Amino acid sequence: MTRRWQIAALRAGSILALLLIWWAASKFMNDPQILPGPLAIGRTIVADLQTPGPDGESAYFDIGITLARIVIAFAASMIAGTAIGLAMGLNRLCERSLLTILPLLLTMPTILMVFLATLWFGYSEAGGLVAVMVVVTPYVAVNTFEGTKAMDKTLGDMASAFKARRGLLLRHIYLPQLMPYIFSALHYAFGLTWKIVALAETFGLKHGIGYMFFFWFQQFDIAQTLAWIIMFIVLMLILEHGVFARLEGAVFAWRTAHAH
Amino acid sequence: MPAITIDKVTKRFLAPGGQTRFIVLDDISLIVGDGEFVSIVGPSGCGKSTLLNIIAGIESYDTGTVTIHPRVAAANAQPRIGYVFQSPRLLNWLTVEKNIHFVLEAQNVPRSKWPDLVAKNLAMVGLAGQERNYPLNLSGGMQQRVAIARALAIEPDILLMDEPFSHLDAITARKLRFDLMDILQRAKPTILFVTHDLSEAVFLSNKIHMMSTRPARIFKRVMIDIPRPRQPEDARVVELEKNLLREFFSVVEA
Repeated sequence: MTRRWQIAALRAGSILALLLIWWAASKFMNDPQILPGPLAIGRTIVADLQTPGPDGESAYFDIGITLARIVIAFAASMIAGTAIGLAMGLNRLCERSLLTILPLLLTMPTILMVFLATLWFGYSEAGGLVAVMVVVTPYVAVNTFEGTKAMDKTLGDMASAFKARRGLLLRHIYLPQLMPYIFSALHYAFGLTWKIVALAETFGLKHGIGYMFFFWFQQFDIAQTLAWIIMFIVLMLILEHGVFARLEGAVFAWRTAHAH
Repeated sequence: MPAITIDKVTKRFLAPGGQTRFIVLDDISLIVGDGEFVSIVGPSGCGKSTLLNIIAGIESYDTGTVTIHPRVAAANAQPRIGYVFQSPRLLNWLTVEKNIHFVLEAQNVPRSKWPDLVAKNLAMVGLAGQERNYPLNLSGGMQQRVAIARALAIEPDILLMDEPFSHLDAITARKLRFDLMDILQRAKPTILFVTHDLSEAVFLSNKIHMMSTRPARIFKRVMIDIPRPRQPEDARVVELEKNLLREFFSVVEA
């Protein structure tokens, strides 16, 4: 067996073990109202994906809404965080003033921020977006700023000697050197983003996966609640491993690239 | 006609942590003529790299003047300066070709000229066909060749070279020195070359300025009229090197 297959087998095995424990626990509890087994949940998910939900919309509609919220809030936070971190790295005034403020924002409990945003913006899309940005942007900014400190000054000198202007510096000198830091921030930032979006959907927003699982939770329908949580987890795993892993591979291709 | 005029340039650095300033360049004057190959030879830490950085405009100085004369006497003609550093300083995330595009874009060279300039200069340094390769796939010597091609691609009026062969093994360095002589027969920029290696300087240059550390001054200027092509083992080259070396130590160790 090749190493690749061993890893795949190990992964499949651990997921199977988890399902087995779940199944055993549900047998032990012996109450589908409290803990339904994995098979029942599987059937619920299949049914949810085929029939309209309680709000008359299909499951894909809610999944799509959640996805759109996550992607928009995440992109906005990453761009803002990178820009702020870079500004701090390149400008002493930005560095001094923001280094005082960022730790304050970083210590803010996430759940409080969601409540505050709901209070200020009502149950609107803006509330969710602001909550994500206030929590995630500082984290990305701090990481990017760390990256600016590790940049190779001799490359900047080379670029200046050849009279490269700001746009060129940004594209070919700064951003490529910051990529490892941006990517390491990206994984954690993405985790933060979907947790906040799920929280905002649970507490205030209309539609979306979080809205759905809170709806079913209030109906005491544990099978549906678990079904929606699992759909959410699967969606996030697809994004993490399907999208980001590929993106990372493409961005860092030069490290392993060989001719031909 | 001069290409570079450096007149009484002085630079001081603030000693790390302290109030005292030490002098990196002390009243340096030198003129590099158009098309000349001029070397500055000195021990490490004598400020010779700083002088190149000042000419390239990436370091400041305290007093004196530095004038760079463009070859083309057009109005607002900016002299083009190419720079080859001690290490290649390539952008490892860009292909060889795009590394050259980077400086062409920086120097506002029209895009239509890029393919020719890339092909011509990579061929000149013996790297034709490596356009799409990434720097990390190349040996140190090849990376330095890319750096030389990059500096030549902008068709510089002045080429600054800061110990460009000092990081390479002796055999590669020797080969590159010969190649550099060859290349310069075709592209004819004015060259200011910094090194601590006297034999390299004698082999390559028309003129040598010898620098001491404290004070950071030029203490001797030598014209070299040994005809080209030269051989590093040529008796006249070896003889001159020996004499200069003796003089060098008498000053530096005094």
